[in-house]
Amino acid sequence: MVSYVVRRVLLGLLTVLLVLLLLHLLTTLAIQLNGNPALAFFGDHVPSASQLHAVEVRYGLDDPCYDQPGNPCLGPFWERLVQYAHGDFGTDLQGRPLTELMAQAVPNTLRLFVIVTITWLIIGMLLGSVAARFRGRPIDHSIRLTSVLIDAFPVFVMLVVYRFIFTVPLTTWARRTFGSDSIPALLFKPSYSNDHPWITLIVPGLLLGLTGCAPFLRLVRAAQLENYNAEHVRTARSKGLSNGHVTAYHIVRNSSVPVVTAVGFVFADALSGAVITEGVMNIRGMGNLLWQSVQKSDVSVVVGVVTILSVVTIGVMLLVDLAYAALDPRIRYD
Amino acid sequence: MLHRRLPLRRPAKALLAASAAVALFATAACSSGGSGSNSDSGSEGSEKVIHLALGQDVDTLLPMDSNVGDNIGVLDVVFDGLVRYDPKTTKPYNYVAQSIDTSDNKVWTIKIKKGLTFSNGEPVDAASFARSWNYSAYGPNAMANNYYFERIEGYDAMQGETDDDGNVTVKPKAKELSGVKIVDDLTMKVTLTAPFAGFSTMLGYTGFFPAAKACIADIKACTTKPIGNGPFKIDNWNQGVELTASKRKDYKLSEVPNYDKIDWKEYAGSSSWPDFQAGDLDLGAPPPEQWQQANNDPDLSSRKVTKETADLTYLGFPLYRKNRPWDNIEFRKAISMAIDRQKIIDTVVPSQSVPATSWVAPTIPGGKADTCEWCKFDPAAAKAALQKAGGWPSDKVLNIYLGKDDTSEAYFKAIGDQLTLNLGIKYKLIPSEDFFAERSARKFDGAYRNNWFPDYPLNENFLAPVYASGDPKNGNTNFGYYDADFEKAIKAGDQAPDIDAAIAKYQEAEQVLAKDFPTIPLDFSNSITFYSDRVDNIVINPFSGATELRQLKYVG
Repeated sequence: MVSYVVRRVLLGLLTVLLVLLLLHLLTTLAIQLNGNPALAFFGDHVPSASQLHAVEVRYGLDDPCYDQPGNPCLGPFWERLVQYAHGDFGTDLQGRPLTELMAQAVPNTLRLFVIVTITWLIIGMLLGSVAARFRGRPIDHSIRLTSVLIDAFPVFVMLVVYRFIFTVPLTTWARRTFGSDSIPALLFKPSYSNDHPWITLIVPGLLLGLTGCAPFLRLVRAAQLENYNAEHVRTARSKGLSNGHVTAYHIVRNSSVPVVTAVGFVFADALSGAVITEGVMNIRGMGNLLWQSVQKSDVSVVVGVVTILSVVTIGVMLLVDLAYAALDPRIRYD
Repeated sequence: MLHRRLPLRRPAKALLAASAAVALFATAACSSGGSGSNSDSGSEGSEKVIHLALGQDVDTLLPMDSNVGDNIGVLDVVFDGLVRYDPKTTKPYNYVAQSIDTSDNKVWTIKIKKGLTFSNGEPVDAASFARSWNYSAYGPNAMANNYYFERIEGYDAMQGETDDDGNVTVKPKAKELSGVKIVDDLTMKVTLTAPFAGFSTMLGYTGFFPAAKACIADIKACTTKPIGNGPFKIDNWNQGVELTASKRKDYKLSEVPNYDKIDWKEYAGSSSWPDFQAGDLDLGAPPPEQWQQANNDPDLSSRKVTKETADLTYLGFPLYRKNRPWDNIEFRKAISMAIDRQKIIDTVVPSQSVPATSWVAPTIPGGKADTCEWCKFDPAAAKAALQKAGGWPSDKVLNIYLGKDDTSEAYFKAIGDQLTLNLGIKYKLIPSEDFFAERSARKFDGAYRNNWFPDYPLNENFLAPVYASGDPKNGNTNFGYYDADFEKAIKAGDQAPDIDAAIAKYQEAEQVLAKDFPTIPLDFSNSITFYSDRVDNIVINPFSGATELRQLKYVG
């Protein structure tokens, strides 16, 4: 068990290093080919060499390798690694420490994740279990059709339609009916509000969760169907155990291995969704931060955020793998 | 505010992804924001709060480093300049300055009003202006407004030099502008490198605001909480989320609005329009796809203000590439007369622009309409001019370069279609992320989009920075344009005895442009602002297109 964890952690570190290197090479190449973000600083104004140099120094892009296309710029890369090893994640172009930016953004993204995961679990588990239980009946067909319909609606379409068509009349109605500080009025606010972080995130989280839950729902259904006809379930029934007990302990628990994996993936999935969701609903979270930084060619923020995200993703995957052992006694990591 | 952010010398960055949603992100979050229904601890009853929106890409509030529409808008109520601009005429008038005098347009004596203070109690004196200007002008500080001080004596000594590899060859020799002298507490003498009649007009720009000692001592703190001398002071800036400012009690000058607080909510490029519709914001502008709907709504359009601004879009040619069709003025005339500007505006950006008939915005001192005689749609004359120019080979394609931006791509596609329709010229749009870098590197081979937004309201600013180079061989960087008469007229304007005489000389320079026809004016944007029923007296500055916050009235 311990050796397995150590192996996985080392592998994870290697993965992060590779991600970092790849990202570094890509951003470096982007700067070399696209011209420096420092040039964008001047816009329409044509800077003199010394003005440009001063801005490059300010942005930390004064290494001459950034002007030579194809040069991998390993010097700055090594400097960054050393900084990271010391726990210094650098600053954005304006000199704000990355840790401060993250401290502001992470809570919002986590809140969104919590709502998304709850949505997934409730809708996916519930509908998936119901569909499996009544397989082949109208209710099963309608649930499966619904999941296909959900799939057909990309998250940004849902969000954009919701925000531009539904929020305004709903808010107006709720304010008139329940008062402007009432829960329904806040629930349908067109944009996220920092004063009410949870309540204004519910609807975006629900919508994001809804769009992701369709494959999950089908996974739950399939996993449970396998178990309905399995021998151990028949045995349990023949021992006279109640229907509810059999479902809970022998079917749902045994079909949870793929489900846990999927919850691990919700992280990666919700993150890509979060970029869009946070963008549309104006939530200051990780996705939003990344979006902004990519637009500004703020390399150190992009690299820093992605690094931290890859560490988190790899950590979650490890936890998921370890959770298998708890769910399935046949799985051992020796 | 504006349907497209005014790029004050900085491009509105176009977007990376290409999906239906992008159009929504791409709309600049302009004007106003806030959490209408829930301000802190329910103090709504007594306090008059204005809710506005701010683009989230505002990353500094340091006046020396602020040159984008959004942070300039915030700083306009946090700081007072030596001069301010009359929103009706855009002409400057003295505000912090008691008087600004010169006898030769080279040496300027500026006297400051007595008894003014910063929000931290420090005096607003000659030293506070010198402090700020020296900080901006010092090259290694890499301030966005550095180049505004080029005209002041001693600027060059503060820059240092670098070779092509970016190695510093000469370190800056001075840390202060030798041309800025403090005579006494409230008097300063500014010496320019050459006479410039428009110097006093420049002084209302953000880059010329004063700086408190405490600000220079802790620049980092000052980027998020600037210490201003204006009617409002910044309370708190939760960067990326919200910015709040409240009225100063100890403010002595007269231009103060009737509300107590401003609450800017930041938007990450997503449109703030739904928030405006829901009543959370006091000022708003719809994204392109909501445009028709907003204008057709009788309630909304009754609270709408439209004003022409000085934001010019024009078509340029690489005159530095010789022996091409566009070398010939007849060809450029043909292109210009083949474009039905009004029709393109009506289809692509209805009522959001007006056709341009001059190189200088008519809303600016010295600007007047109809200086361009070939800017009217006349397909027959266009065909004749093209004949004169020797025609356009049917197998050749005219490249049209522009930055990446959905709206301008649609706009220039319409222009290309008209060229095909009226002149039979095939075209290809080439939108690019690195438009500015490529333009500076003179990489274009075809027509390209340009945009100019003036830094200060004077016709000179549409002419000298854009077309003058003093380089007869290569011409200016962006177009390769050079004309001795043009340069002479600009110089004559700089040396004119007073501003009115200067403006007349600059107008002569514009006449030279009208004769040479190096570029083709297309349109001036309109600023279109919708406002809530909580505010009144919406005055739009014709120069910046921004709502004048000091004139805005809170009516509850």
